[in-house]
Amino acid sequence: MTEQERRTEEAGSGAAPDAEDRRGLSQGIAVAEGARPQKGLTEEKVFELNDVAVLYDGNPAVREISFDVFKNRITALIGPSGCGKSTLIRCFNRMNDLIPIARVEGEILYHGEDLYGPNVDPVQVRKLIGMVFQKPNPFPKSIYDNIAFGPRTLGMKGDMDDIVERALRRGALWDEVKDRLDENAYGLSGGQQQRLCIARCVAVEPDVILMDEPCSALDPISTGKIEDLMMELKDDYSIVIVTHNMQQAARVSDMTAFLIVELDASEKNRTGRIVEYDETQTIFTNPSDQRTEDYVTGKVG
Amino acid sequence: MARETRLHYQEELEQLEKHALEGLDFVVQTVDRTIEACEHQDVELAELVIADDDRIDGRYLEIHQSILTLLATQAPVASDLRLISALLHVMKCMERMGDQCVNIAKLIPVAGHEPPADEKMLRDIVTMGKQARSLITQAKRAFANRDVAMARDLVRQDDVIDNLNRECFHQALEIGDDADAREWAMTMMLVARAMERIGDNAVDIGEQVAFVVTGLFREFEDASHPGEVAPQPSTQ
Repeated sequence: MTEQERRTEEAGSGAAPDAEDRRGLSQGIAVAEGARPQKGLTEEKVFELNDVAVLYDGNPAVREISFDVFKNRITALIGPSGCGKSTLIRCFNRMNDLIPIARVEGEILYHGEDLYGPNVDPVQVRKLIGMVFQKPNPFPKSIYDNIAFGPRTLGMKGDMDDIVERALRRGALWDEVKDRLDENAYGLSGGQQQRLCIARCVAVEPDVILMDEPCSALDPISTGKIEDLMMELKDDYSIVIVTHNMQQAARVSDMTAFLIVELDASEKNRTGRIVEYDETQTIFTNPSDQRTEDYVTGKVG
Repeated sequence: MARETRLHYQEELEQLEKHALEGLDFVVQTVDRTIEACEHQDVELAELVIADDDRIDGRYLEIHQSILTLLATQAPVASDLRLISALLHVMKCMERMGDQCVNIAKLIPVAGHEPPADEKMLRDIVTMGKQARSLITQAKRAFANRDVAMARDLVRQDDVIDNLNRECFHQALEIGDDADAREWAMTMMLVARAMERIGDNAVDIGEQVAFVVTGLFREFEDASHPGEVAPQPSTQ
């Protein structure tokens, strides 16, 4: 693992080293504790993206991205390879900050506050907005320590055994591991490891969970468990998921954004753009854009 | 440049629609025979209509199975899903229209070999049959061409059948005191009712055309409030 990959994974796993300020993204932002999402679907916005572009070395990977992410909803980002789904989802918790050549333009508001504002602490951002990756990435530690790592690092108060149990229950893993918490997490199956990563993310009590193709390495049974888990978690968290699996997007998400990839005049640079953003039911039964129609029906690839 | 994919699936879907709409040709043929059997009290032709209904039912079952297979194996969405959903409705309408022809065919021997037929009423029933036939072919054409205007026009065409059905009812009321004539008229009322239902099924197919094209399902006319536009379905 390269240094950058290690930093990326640690940063995105809720294992932020700085535990000083857990009251908001920065001084004076009223989110985090006391701002937990309410039960049931609401139209409250968690993120507002206004004309967002992400550039690598000056070349836009995605551009003209404008849409809202709603509280307690599962929002799916779909589109062909290279359209910038992963690039976009990494903007939501400033993971692109870890890539020196990356630059984010436009505006991303998180509960109305500029996520990229000068006083915003990226570490605090990643505590509130956790991430689960395509490949399960447990630490080479015991199951217990995997969960306890984030809360300990953040100096969270409370009985650690309770925190671990609560997180593993939220991750739908408790019954399977409660008798072997001291065993190495690498001994778990792929599906269990991914649920452990979700539990680890939940342990630090985030507001949003980002999932970048969380089931692409899993079998259908494990995928089903993760999807069931997502449906349960959305009562308490807002979830954004990148998936290549159309049926998964259709099954689990409430809202779906479809991105396409465009070549510039030189046909060398590929840029992703949003074509359509709507309720998932509409996207999969009556999309308004022919390009969405062609993609979800599999007519073009 | 995006390349086309899932060509085999697209081909399967096209074949499914072609095969389903061919089923409507079977119904047209059956309606023709049914009209002729009514007009000439042809009991043998009526028996053929009854026997030939197996062909329509067979096509219905075949398409139904193909649709289940496509749903299970290809997980269609968007316009493909709407088409498949619509074809299920169309097939049900096709099967029902075939059954209505069977209902009529079964009434022909009941009416007797040389019944005391009222010429005007018989002519109206034949006209209803021909109009129903025309509706089925128009519904098929509207579906194949995804022509919503043509599909909507089915309502107007169906009004002709509805008016004739009411006319038949009045003629039956005024047919006189002869018991045989009254029995014949009552039997013909059942025939007229079956023809009227065939027209309604053709309109139902038209509604599916609008659904395939627009993604919104609504009845062209609300049976409980005739003459009014059907209420908009809730989107919630």
